[in-house]
Amino acid sequence: MARKMESAIKIEGLTKEYLNRTTGKMVRAVDDLHLEVYRGEIFGFLGPNGAGKTTTIKMLLGLIFPTKGDAWIFGKPIGDVGVKRQIAYLPESPYFYEYLTGRQVLDFYARLFGIPASERKKKVDALLDTVGLSRDGDKTLRNYSKGMLQRIGIAQALINDPELLFLDEPTSGLDPMARIEIRDLIIRLKQQGKTVFLSSHQLLEVELICDRVSILNRGKLLKAGKLDELLPSGRVEIVAENVSDDGVIAKIRDAGGIVQRQDGRIVVQQPDDASVNRVVDIIRSANGTIRSLIPQRRTLEELFVSTIEEVEKK
Amino acid sequence: MTAVTAIAYNTVREALSRRVVLLFLFGALVLIILSPLFSFLSPREELTLLKSLGLGVIQLASMFICIVMGISLIPAEIERRTIYTVLSKPVQRYEFVLGKFLGGILTMLFNILFTVVAWRATPKQALDLWKGFMMIFFQMSILVSLAIFFSVFLTPFVNFFMSLGVYIVGTLSSVTESLMKGENRTVIQKGIGAVLHYLLPQFGNFNIQNKIIHPETRIINEGVYYIQNIGYAILYIAVLLIIAVIIFDRREV
Repeated sequence: MARKMESAIKIEGLTKEYLNRTTGKMVRAVDDLHLEVYRGEIFGFLGPNGAGKTTTIKMLLGLIFPTKGDAWIFGKPIGDVGVKRQIAYLPESPYFYEYLTGRQVLDFYARLFGIPASERKKKVDALLDTVGLSRDGDKTLRNYSKGMLQRIGIAQALINDPELLFLDEPTSGLDPMARIEIRDLIIRLKQQGKTVFLSSHQLLEVELICDRVSILNRGKLLKAGKLDELLPSGRVEIVAENVSDDGVIAKIRDAGGIVQRQDGRIVVQQPDDASVNRVVDIIRSANGTIRSLIPQRRTLEELFVSTIEEVEKK
Repeated sequence: MTAVTAIAYNTVREALSRRVVLLFLFGALVLIILSPLFSFLSPREELTLLKSLGLGVIQLASMFICIVMGISLIPAEIERRTIYTVLSKPVQRYEFVLGKFLGGILTMLFNILFTVVAWRATPKQALDLWKGFMMIFFQMSILVSLAIFFSVFLTPFVNFFMSLGVYIVGTLSSVTESLMKGENRTVIQKGIGAVLHYLLPQFGNFNIQNKIIHPETRIINEGVYYIQNIGYAILYIAVLLIIAVIIFDRREV
């Protein structure tokens, strides 16, 4: 547990302003962002297009520079070249040297880490195998499909066996099977103790694999936290049979339930956990049969949409 | 240094896969094809013409390749976004610039050597020509560093004309010198002449074709002349690359 709470990324007041050349005005792409990502977790970094996600990642990698604020990766200030030995980056729609083969491009990235030639070959072969490109390793990248380029992008991100991975839309352009493979790969990375900073529009995937998420809009952080906390299971749906008496239904309504009659059954929507037992007691005391009792969790998609809409209305 | 060599190697590989290099090879091929046609001339005339033609073609093609290649070495990486995956690795920005420069001059060296071999100018037959090639190599190395220097803050389009312009003015170092030292010049003219003469690279000093072509002309203190100019080239390149790195270090990609 102690390891889990150790900070992998710490961001304090990170701000990035650009000059919009068309309007001549300064635009805040990232606005006073405070965030902490812990070691060993999969952190979902969500937001609509233009929210500032990629800008934040690029600042963390030292590709662009913050206007204000600070950030640290494994305790080292951003831009520290030494820390880059421990991290990896998969850009959104990655571009690589198209005149190189898959094998050559991985060899090039391995050289940047100073990996000796004897290890490089083994490593490249293993990575091509991991991302399912063993057969296509000797084709030049100009002959790769978008999905294959995405796979080679993931392979290059794993070349240094990183501790922290920044993945920007890692399943973009992949078919459903490949998406599942990449999802499984991310889960395996977490199991190996790696930290994954995942920027994605695939909310279902994020919900399935992330420990914590944050939602960013127009550069501002709107929400951040564990999925369980952000998506509370407040509402409960109860389906019961043999309950037709109006008096019983009135009692359920008095207990806060919203009742619908459907084909001889009743479907009760209870807004919170607290009154569920009372409703169950009312039904059973009237000789009714409980068919199902299902907690209705909000989906991440619902949370995302409502969070963004709420801010946009303001 | 492993990052520098990896980037340099990759730059050579990329350059050799580009069509622009074919131009160089085409030049070499033209020379090879044309060589036998000069056999009707007297041996001395033939040699003079071949030397002149060979050095001229190599210099012109080298200049063109250096500028076209040099202006795009860094901007192409930014435009294609390949730089993201390179600079997110443990690569210092100065290593990136240095790797690109080394890759550029190695490509040029490869092309010069290929042309020379194709031209059959073996050291035994023409030592003077090898001296000429050496000076072209250092002249072009300055040009590559100049194009890289401009590329960190100018667009490739503007850079093309800037690099070409500086090369032309720098080749005319005798003109800038006479502008600087001429007796009937105004102070402003002398000032402009001095700035151009000392600030711009003196490409003209590397042009020794005339001395090679005409055996009756000789360079006085030849060894000193080469050492001075090669030293000048190395120093000039170092200064240009240091300034380029300082600017590139602050540049967002």
